[in-house]
Amino acid sequence: MNNSRALLVILFVLLLFAALIVKLVDIQIIKSEELKYYAQRQQTRLETIKAERGLIYDRCNVLLVYNRNDVTFNLDLRMLHENRKDDLAEKLSSVFVNSKSHYLKLMEQKGKTIVIERKVPVEKAALLKNINLSALFSVDEPTRIYQYGSMASHLLGYVNKEFVGVNGVAKYYEDELNGEEGSRLVERDALGRVITFSDEETKTAIPGDNLILTIDKNYQTILEEELKLGLQKYKGRSATGILMDPNTGEILALANISDFNPNFYWKYDDYQRKNRAITDTYEPGSTFKAFTMAALIEEDKCYEDELVNVENGTYKFRNTYIRDTHSNQYLTVRGILEESSNIGISKLVQRLNNDAYFKYLRGFGFGTFTSVTLPGEVKGTLKKPNRWSKYTKTFMSFGYEVSVTPLQLINAFSAIINGGILYEPHILKGRTDINGKVIFESSPVIVRRVISEETSARVRKMLRGVVKNGTGSFADSKLIPVGGKTGTSQKLIDGKYSKSKYNASFIGFFPADNPQMVCLIIVNSPKEKYGGRVAAPIFKNITERILETNLKIFQKSEEYKTHKNVESKIVSITNEKEVAPKVINVVNVSGNYPNSENQKILMPDLRGQTVKDALIKLNLLGLNYDINGSGIVTSQSISPGLKIKPNQVCKINCSETIISGANIY
Amino acid sequence: MWINELRIDYHLKDKFDFGLIFPVIILFIFGLTAIYSSTFSNAIAQGNFQKQLIWGIVAVIVFFITYSIPTNTFKQITIPSYFITIFLLIVVLLIGQRISGAKSWLAIGSFGFQPSEFAKLATILMLSKYLSRQNANIDSFKDLSFTLAIGFFPVILILFEPDMGTAFVFIAMILTLIFWKGISVFAMFVVLSPGFVAVSSLFGSYYFFGALLFVIAMLFVFRKDFFFSGSIFAFNLASGFFADYVFKALSTHQQKRIQAFIDPMSDPLGSGYNTIQAKVAIGSGGLFGKGFLEGNQTQLQFIPEQWTDFIYCVIGEEFGFVGAIITIGLFTFLFLRILKIASGSKDEFLSLLSIGILSVYFAHFIINIGMVVGIMPVIGLPLPFISYGGSSLVVNMIMLGILANIYRTRKNYA
Repeated sequence: MNNSRALLVILFVLLLFAALIVKLVDIQIIKSEELKYYAQRQQTRLETIKAERGLIYDRCNVLLVYNRNDVTFNLDLRMLHENRKDDLAEKLSSVFVNSKSHYLKLMEQKGKTIVIERKVPVEKAALLKNINLSALFSVDEPTRIYQYGSMASHLLGYVNKEFVGVNGVAKYYEDELNGEEGSRLVERDALGRVITFSDEETKTAIPGDNLILTIDKNYQTILEEELKLGLQKYKGRSATGILMDPNTGEILALANISDFNPNFYWKYDDYQRKNRAITDTYEPGSTFKAFTMAALIEEDKCYEDELVNVENGTYKFRNTYIRDTHSNQYLTVRGILEESSNIGISKLVQRLNNDAYFKYLRGFGFGTFTSVTLPGEVKGTLKKPNRWSKYTKTFMSFGYEVSVTPLQLINAFSAIINGGILYEPHILKGRTDINGKVIFESSPVIVRRVISEETSARVRKMLRGVVKNGTGSFADSKLIPVGGKTGTSQKLIDGKYSKSKYNASFIGFFPADNPQMVCLIIVNSPKEKYGGRVAAPIFKNITERILETNLKIFQKSEEYKTHKNVESKIVSITNEKEVAPKVINVVNVSGNYPNSENQKILMPDLRGQTVKDALIKLNLLGLNYDINGSGIVTSQSISPGLKIKPNQVCKINCSETIISGANIY
Repeated sequence: MWINELRIDYHLKDKFDFGLIFPVIILFIFGLTAIYSSTFSNAIAQGNFQKQLIWGIVAVIVFFITYSIPTNTFKQITIPSYFITIFLLIVVLLIGQRISGAKSWLAIGSFGFQPSEFAKLATILMLSKYLSRQNANIDSFKDLSFTLAIGFFPVILILFEPDMGTAFVFIAMILTLIFWKGISVFAMFVVLSPGFVAVSSLFGSYYFFGALLFVIAMLFVFRKDFFFSGSIFAFNLASGFFADYVFKALSTHQQKRIQAFIDPMSDPLGSGYNTIQAKVAIGSGGLFGKGFLEGNQTQLQFIPEQWTDFIYCVIGEEFGFVGAIITIGLFTFLFLRILKIASGSKDEFLSLLSIGILSVYFAHFIINIGMVVGIMPVIGLPLPFISYGGSSLVVNMIMLGILANIYRTRKNYA
């Protein structure tokens, strides 16, 4: 029966059979390669391995900036069942600081993925690992840690969300710090979970270089603390201070107050974040007289004891009046600098022709970049002689109609006192690779000789006189001979000189006969206007605190050698002030500092910690150390729990861990 | 003594259709292999291989019971089994468990089964019985209406679950049975045209009007009286609008699947995802496949729950074009074998029963593999003997037992 219908059924079955074969041929043979490629593309992915960003140390190898491998916890609310919420909130509140109701409130949002806890340290994150909840997942978030908060923030800069450096050395040495990203081929399943790595196709990341800066953490701290105190005392708007080694151009400390904390950079405004010491210019005022004087002496246009009529304080120059703060009839050339006489220097500068004067000012580096390796530097204004009015030279002689950055000024001033050589200011002392091997070491870069050694010595002596007998007396220290120059300049606001707003500044150096340090302090718009009254005392405090920690400076002073009792003076001062906490912070201070014997510091157990953690601890203890290898500490020369003797060096051996470098931050 | 043995052997061949059993055994082994491979790297489904093996033993026992019982039993249990399954289909709507969008599971203790699987067999029995009674005339309005009523009652219940795949299988089965009974071309047209219009309407209004024009043209060809033709047209029109209504009543995931069939790339991460991933899996297998447990598309679980509806991908990926062709070749062989039994049976009830079973197997086969290779929409239906699942395997083996039984007793009917 039904034979014809059976035939129809056979036909129908065979027809569909044929259709399936055609389709299978199409996708398994004709399009096979294309689909194989497609499969491979979705199953594997080239993953980048982030390179570890280089660390930043100060000149004494104190770790300033490092990375921490934080974890951010996200919660996919769509995958979270209602009755698990309470339990989860309970657990979260037991691990973190926030309350249970805080988490429950967060979970009230509808159908979203929320951040439940941001940047949690790895140790804390491990406590949450046993919560097996698909809705809760974590993302690694390497975090740049600025160990000392706002300290040296303008030099260090910060990293933004994408881990890219902004400002400071973070930006300027971005490439060096960044290293080179690696990559690996990863096989993933449909949910994106990693199944295997392919070893042959893995390119390891090259970690960034570590930077060793020329700054000294102690000097930097002192500078910042004293600037803050000074700002409070004299109620200024802001302050800038720079400390340099005049013989090399190394920046030992640089601070602008107010500053910012790079760990929370987003909380601050642009003014607080920018390094005003190089991005902002000001008219230097009387500190500039030192440069005029140096040019005059070098050109042999005057000598120290020559008498100049300073017109009893008021002098009509062409159609304007130049006034002095302290009126005198006659002053010696030395006296002009000591009393900071505008009239005197105006009269003297007329002896120089325009081109010669300009040549010296340009020679000191005014109106050009200092080439410091920091981003955002401006060059200030130094007008060319052909654009000078008939007043320009006169006004410039006491620091008006010329604008400079604080760094330019201190760098040029270094050339006056160091024997006449202009150095390039620099911030980078060296670079090391991940194993601590030095791959770059900076050396002083001479720009040019500006004045002769003899001129330099003569001006230095005059500048010593300013502090000893003149306007800079508030900067004088009983401990060490100090030289310097005060400056008080009216602020140029909207093209007019303000009657009430001043920049009070002092630039000084010590020891006066053999300068080892030069320091510029500028206070913007203080209540009391004179640099000698405002900036000089700040300078003095800084000087004395630096001397407490670094006695070597005295040994360089000729005057010191004749006063054998200076050291005992220092000791008594340090004891009076109870500087113990400061002393603990001191690292690598060779020589004798008196307090460490009284400290009962016990050696901590560093074994099993990362080098970075160990370094932080050692630095806090102020212990000298010597590190072999990198990675995890395996042994230490001073056993844990022993008392640390002064000047003891702790030797630490480290070894690399098995985990690949890319994972340790 | 050895002659005696020969005789037994002869009897065995005569009583047992190896052509029916062997392809099924091989397909089941293919299925176990594919289940093993697809659950190999899945922690949750790792026990499925063992479970399927146990179900296989159960299915063999059930097969032999069905094989050995008197053939008349099938006729006798027809009416009670039909009404029992209808009852169970109503029960499942009331207290059933919802698994991936459909309320089709009944749980008795830890044991769950799908009444719709059994309803297929019961409906075949019922329709075969109704159509094979004396004086049955499928071209008569009354008999045709009754046939459709018996067939579509469970379909409506199943659509409420909603389980589109099984409903399709029912429709294929009903059409096959009335075709096998010997329906005239015109009556077949009357039955088919509303479905044709309904499906066309889902593609948009142009297709809908085109289908209606086709129906009008056909009505002119058949030259029936005006009133009759008019009412057929009206019925077609109504079915077009009804289909639209039903489409909207479908669950969103099924709506999306229909849309994804029309254009899988429209939503590559959503409803088109499975179609694309299945194609990638099979296609990347190439001619000879990547080898057992080597199919990375399978092992990396790009296709969810691959051991059920998308199991053919595993075969296609790991055993390549060769494996894929052998599989559908075995099926085709099985189908032709069943067709031989159906057309060879002297008893009309048994012949209808055989062709009904064939239609169920074939519908599952073509919808499943068609879906996997992308010539059919994604409708969740297991591949007989291969996909993981106890109910489906047991019912398929009962049906195979019936076929073997019919073969065994084929000479009893003259």
